[in-house]
Amino acid sequence: MKRSFAVIAVAALSLIAVGARAQEEAPDAPHQDWSFAGIFGTFDRGAVQRGFQIYNQVCANCHSMDLLYYRDLGPDGPGGGIGFTEPEVAAIAAQKQVDDGPNDQGDMFKRPGKAQDGFPPAFPNIQTARAANGGAAPPDLSVIVKARGKGLEYLWGGGGPDYVYGILTGFKDPPPAGFKVAQGRYYNEYFPGHQIAMPPPLADDAVTYTDGTKATLSQEAHDVVTFLTWAAEPQMEARKRTGAKVIIFLLVMSLVLYLAKVRVWREVH
Amino acid sequence: MANLAHEKPEQHAAPYGAGAEAITHGGATRRDFLTIAGSAIAGIGVASALWPLIDSMNPSADVLAAGAPIDIDISHLQPGQQIVVLWRSRPIFLVNRTPEALKTLQSQPDIALLSDPDSTVAQQPDYAKNWHRSVKPEYLVLVGICTHLGCIPNYVPEPGGGGLGSSWLGGYFCPCHGSRYDLSGRVFSGVPAPYNLPVPPYRFVNDKTVRIGENPPNETFDLNSVVQL
Amino acid sequence: MAATPSTVRTNSKLIRWIDRRLPLFSFAQNELMDYPEPRNLNYWWNFGSIAGIMLVIMIVTGIFLAMQYTPNVDLAFNSVERIMRDVNFGWLVRYIHMNGASFFFIVVYIHLFRGMYYGSYKEPRELLWILGVVILLLMMATAFFGYVLPWGQMSFWGATVITNLFSAIPVVGKGLLTWLLGGFAVGNPTLNRFFSLHYLLPFVIVGVVGLHLIALRQHGSNNPLGIDVKGPQDQLPFHPYYTFKDMFGLAVFLVIFALFIFYMPNGLGDAQNYIPANPLQTPPEIVPEWYLLPFYAILRSIPDKLLGVIALFGSILILFVLPWLDTSRVRSAYFRPIYKWVFWLIVIDVFALGTVGAHRPEGAYIVIGRIATLYYFLHFIVILPLLGWFERPLPLPTSIAVAVTRKLGGAIPAPTAGAE
Repeated sequence: MKRSFAVIAVAALSLIAVGARAQEEAPDAPHQDWSFAGIFGTFDRGAVQRGFQIYNQVCANCHSMDLLYYRDLGPDGPGGGIGFTEPEVAAIAAQKQVDDGPNDQGDMFKRPGKAQDGFPPAFPNIQTARAANGGAAPPDLSVIVKARGKGLEYLWGGGGPDYVYGILTGFKDPPPAGFKVAQGRYYNEYFPGHQIAMPPPLADDAVTYTDGTKATLSQEAHDVVTFLTWAAEPQMEARKRTGAKVIIFLLVMSLVLYLAKVRVWREVH
Repeated sequence: MANLAHEKPEQHAAPYGAGAEAITHGGATRRDFLTIAGSAIAGIGVASALWPLIDSMNPSADVLAAGAPIDIDISHLQPGQQIVVLWRSRPIFLVNRTPEALKTLQSQPDIALLSDPDSTVAQQPDYAKNWHRSVKPEYLVLVGICTHLGCIPNYVPEPGGGGLGSSWLGGYFCPCHGSRYDLSGRVFSGVPAPYNLPVPPYRFVNDKTVRIGENPPNETFDLNSVVQL
Repeated sequence: MAATPSTVRTNSKLIRWIDRRLPLFSFAQNELMDYPEPRNLNYWWNFGSIAGIMLVIMIVTGIFLAMQYTPNVDLAFNSVERIMRDVNFGWLVRYIHMNGASFFFIVVYIHLFRGMYYGSYKEPRELLWILGVVILLLMMATAFFGYVLPWGQMSFWGATVITNLFSAIPVVGKGLLTWLLGGFAVGNPTLNRFFSLHYLLPFVIVGVVGLHLIALRQHGSNNPLGIDVKGPQDQLPFHPYYTFKDMFGLAVFLVIFALFIFYMPNGLGDAQNYIPANPLQTPPEIVPEWYLLPFYAILRSIPDKLLGVIALFGSILILFVLPWLDTSRVRSAYFRPIYKWVFWLIVIDVFALGTVGAHRPEGAYIVIGRIATLYYFLHFIVILPLLGWFERPLPLPTSIAVAVTRKLGGAIPAPTAGAE
């Protein structure tokens, strides 16, 4: 029996290598501390709201988030939103123009956004997106944090946030000695191949936070990644909370059933 | 004895060996606290696992959001004109009633035709429980679904019009089974439809805008509370 | 009253009334309570019932997901995300279904390896084993169709690669592929029919599981010693012994299952599948889900396309003839000292194949993959037949009861005569 467990353990460890479907062309981004990491992780509402501000002011110019709706930010949103009240959500939505129509004359028109509207796309179609960005359309950011991730950390949803943080902070100008960067590309430490089509989007004081926090590059990157992680899975807190209750229940049930099993089998053993 | 199994006969005759017999007296099991508790906890687990599945069939957040109130611009609505909008997948009639129409609604020839002239049956909010069945007399807002079997009635505002006879004072005619309503949506006697057309919750945001789906301040009314939608 | 009175043991007149007309209760009593099992089953025997529960869980969660999912190439990805965000508990139903597929395979693979170790496939249980392999094949097809449905990058490209295998068949391959896809490439017709088949196959699995249980019932369960039951002293009634043991095992299994659902829900998946399918962009690595990796490795280790496909299907089909490849008269590895090692070697080999399948076919992985593939077939075609002839098994105990007594260090009371 012991031998069989030892062999299984060795074999299982080899499976962990399965998780490491690594792309060897760039180093792994360094690990950051996140409020949402771990069994008891939660979304730091302040960081998520600041991150949303960054997305809205900086990223939304090129990156759409088609899966997000303004109502998601408020109390009716999945997981209870990010702490904005209904009037605040309505005001945020109204800042942007969204497409509507056709009207009674048959024309499409623009109007201020409402809570039920989705985040307006940065470009009307993918062709415009490519044309405006040197052939590389900026990817949608709705689930970007879940779409990037590798190695052991992906096992518990890690990896992705660290990667995006690495991208945002990993630009190097000038590039390391001897590295030739193509026209229209920028050197990035953690992007596979090191040549990313996106110019550095963030810098110290790129935005002025409404809550007064100092907007350093690392703070901005940290906040926007927190927001993007929330956006990728707004129900994460509910998931972890429910998980604690379910697992405790199952552990209790296992214990009771174990004792019952021992009781039943006692006469026979 | 007819038997589903191909068991050896002795397995029925003699129960099991070595202590099993102590537990299985002819199949009855010794019920003690642990086994009952274990089974009960397992049962609770199964039942609580069912709730999320059942709840997933309830309207989702996007469906609830799509049912939010909508604002309609009535500034271009001419007297005698009706527009139809969709709210919560139902047709909503908005009518700008002429003064002549309003006079007809309080007159005896109209009221004599009606089954429920005072809107006693709960088909409308309290703020529409009057002869004009609306907040402001000039503007009528109705849910355009016949209370008989659910067709959408036609708007026939001209007296004597629509081929409905010279005594027709103006109102709604349902093409499916011939139910008739006056220009407040009140149902005629002797037609298949039993109740007045429902009035949805609504309020005037300002003189030019009606918000369907929201009650005026300090009023509560849920469309689901009407007798027949 | 004519004919047979009901045999159900109950005080309830209602139950007796029903049972006399539709013997549900006496059936349950016979099959789930009185049914005799060998008394020495260990915890590796829990995995059959756990597999049955997983099938139920997958069908139930699948049905509720199907209420919200849209099988159209423009809407599928977003409909899944809508389930994750807007549908009440949608995230939970989706994660249970997604991780349930992995855990269903974990359970079935353990169940299968249990059968291999203890010789459960040997006479008279050959058909029982074959039905099990049929179930495994149906599961693999179901899982393949299901993985396409979210319409992520891996869904699309995995479907493209695997369906392309059919074009390797000589003469009819290309026509067959077009017929399968409903078009020139994986597209909307493909997605729609995969959804239909994904809904259908689990119920086919239910049917085959029924046959599997009937075949099991014919000769009863095998046991860790691999020797036949000699009499009631070797057995225990299913209830309460194995009902409670199965419930306990299930509870522990559910704890591990829950750990993945709630704290590592995407750990067994591929990040690429959170990118919507793009027919114009191939992901850097196209990899199936982990439970198909060993077979993927075998496919890729053979440089020829048709031979690779043959090897792939051969690696599964060879399981069908395992009862005849293993020539040993002794069932259980307990008494086969060499086979014990051989068994663990094939387990390591399968894990090695899995690891190879997860990586790009370059460098050392190619070599390891080819060796592991060769050894896989060697195990079944050469080693097992020879081992049966040349191995000297340890002496078998005379009966289960005797072996159990020896282990407990004392005499067991004589079986009680006299019936209920």
